Amino acid sequence: MTHAIDPGVDHLEGQAAHGPPAVSLRGLTKRYGARVAVDDLTIDVPAGVVAGFVGPNGAGKTTTMAMLLGLVTPSAGCGTILGQPLADPAAFLGRVGALIEGPAFYPGLSGAQNLTVLATAAGHDPGQVPGLLELVGLGDRGDDRFRGYSFGMKQRLGIAGALLGDPRLLILDEPINGLDPAGVREMRGLIGRLAGGERTVLVSSHVLAELEQVSDWLIVIDGGRLVFQGPAAQMLGGGSAKLTIAPEHLGDLGRLRDVLVTAGHDSDIADERLSVTINGADPRALAAAVNRAAGTSGIVLAELSVSRTSLEDRYLSMVTEGGDR
Amino acid sequence: MTHIFKAELLKLRRRRFLVGVIAGAVAFAALSALTVFESATASGEPDAARGASIESLSQAGGATEAFSLGASFVGILVLVLFIANFAGEFTQGTFRTLLMRQPRRASLLGGKMAALLTFVAAVMLFAEILTVAASAALAPSQNISTASWLSIDGLGQAAGDYATSMLGIAAWASLGMALAIFVRSIPIGLGIGVFWSGPFEHLIVDAWSTASQWFPGLLLEALAAGGTADVSVARALTVVGIYVVVAVTAAALVFVRRDVTA
Repeated sequence: MTHAIDPGVDHLEGQAAHGPPAVSLRGLTKRYGARVAVDDLTIDVPAGVVAGFVGPNGAGKTTTMAMLLGLVTPSAGCGTILGQPLADPAAFLGRVGALIEGPAFYPGLSGAQNLTVLATAAGHDPGQVPGLLELVGLGDRGDDRFRGYSFGMKQRLGIAGALLGDPRLLILDEPINGLDPAGVREMRGLIGRLAGGERTVLVSSHVLAELEQVSDWLIVIDGGRLVFQGPAAQMLGGGSAKLTIAPEHLGDLGRLRDVLVTAGHDSDIADERLSVTINGADPRALAAAVNRAAGTSGIVLAELSVSRTSLEDRYLSMVTEGGDR
Repeated sequence: MTHIFKAELLKLRRRRFLVGVIAGAVAFAALSALTVFESATASGEPDAARGASIESLSQAGGATEAFSLGASFVGILVLVLFIANFAGEFTQGTFRTLLMRQPRRASLLGGKMAALLTFVAAVMLFAEILTVAASAALAPSQNISTASWLSIDGLGQAAGDYATSMLGIAAWASLGMALAIFVRSIPIGLGIGVFWSGPFEHLIVDAWSTASQWFPGLLLEALAAGGTADVSVARALTVVGIYVVVAVTAAALVFVRRDVTA
């Protein structure tokens, strides 16, 4: 079951959407023998967003990203990256920075030397290396050998490497994976700082909670297939929001229900509480109306709250459905 | 390709590494010169074990006889280094990092190979100069005249010895690179490369002498020796050249077409 919405920037309310999608894939497929790693994937990533690319381990996220970067050849499908054909990586990779499958550098070289080698290989100005090291918080460790870096430092150096040449599209594969809580917070902050303006960030994780705070666009895949794509708010909106109401006296439960039904609010009784589904209404206004109706009928409310299905619950329900396929 | 060439040279420009290379070149020169001059025979012709004679060392090519002898042992070292270097790019994941910066894979491979061979060529030139200096220092102890070493003929011989050594080194390097691309593993690559060119070929040739005309390691030994009774320099160059062309082409095709998943 796919919860995908129509791709396009129209859905990105309130976000900076700059012209054509930064990434547009049509029917992208990768087979390894009989195994299908990515299955007929059609996605669009609007320009200028932070797009969370989420799915369980083995969902096909890294394979998809590797195809975007020309590392893996698709078995079928096509697409464009920054307006250039996917089949011609040389046409767009100069404007793309990436960290995929973990940071890979020369252990005997320092962080600064590694970045200088990369910049030279890409034809970028090595003069930007000190600034990038500062940006990722390695300004004072740039002359240390890569092999002596902690995991978090290696990840940050990988991001600095991805930022060489001021890329328009940044592709980060599980940059938060394996970091300690402080590192996770630091990395989230860094990703947030990297986004904005003309730059699009596509960042993957198998844990949605790691990305929901920084993503304004979400793509969920499972088993190589698309499960959802659209604004993060839309994914949340797809879940149900409810008003939960409990009277002070349980004996008033039935009468309260009648009052609400009379006022035009269908409600269900469960766990000694009433719940009213919010169908696009303003939750605050609805709560006030319910409270007023109860008060007019002489019923004192002991509980009145809005509850939403969390993004994580929604994601888990999606991938569980996918897993049931 | 130029960017990759420069980037690869940057990796080699580490002080500690360069100090090690210089120390190696000094040791190479000293050992080669000592071995040749201390074992030089008084008779007119060099002995069958590639030793030098007082007379041959006094001639125009005497200055670089020690270098030629030493260079003949460098091939296997170059094979090992190139296997380790190229396979290491796979195991470290750095090929992946580079390919995201230089998606033209043939250019990446060519630029890297060209840079490494340029570096090796410079090191061998340095080693040759050091060896000539060491030879000149040792010559008086054996009453060897160095008068003809700096003649036109002597310089020509030196250039010829350098070119021969570099041809062999380039072949060993190409075979090492190709093997590394195929197996993408340092231990497997080294195991295959060292076993094949070391014990395997020599065991085979002991049982089947014609192997010396066909096996790459034996042919490269013949080339370094300036030809043998069984294998002329021309034959060694031709057959080795075919091996190199086939190996490099196949490796390039594999590198260009294969998915990079590590």
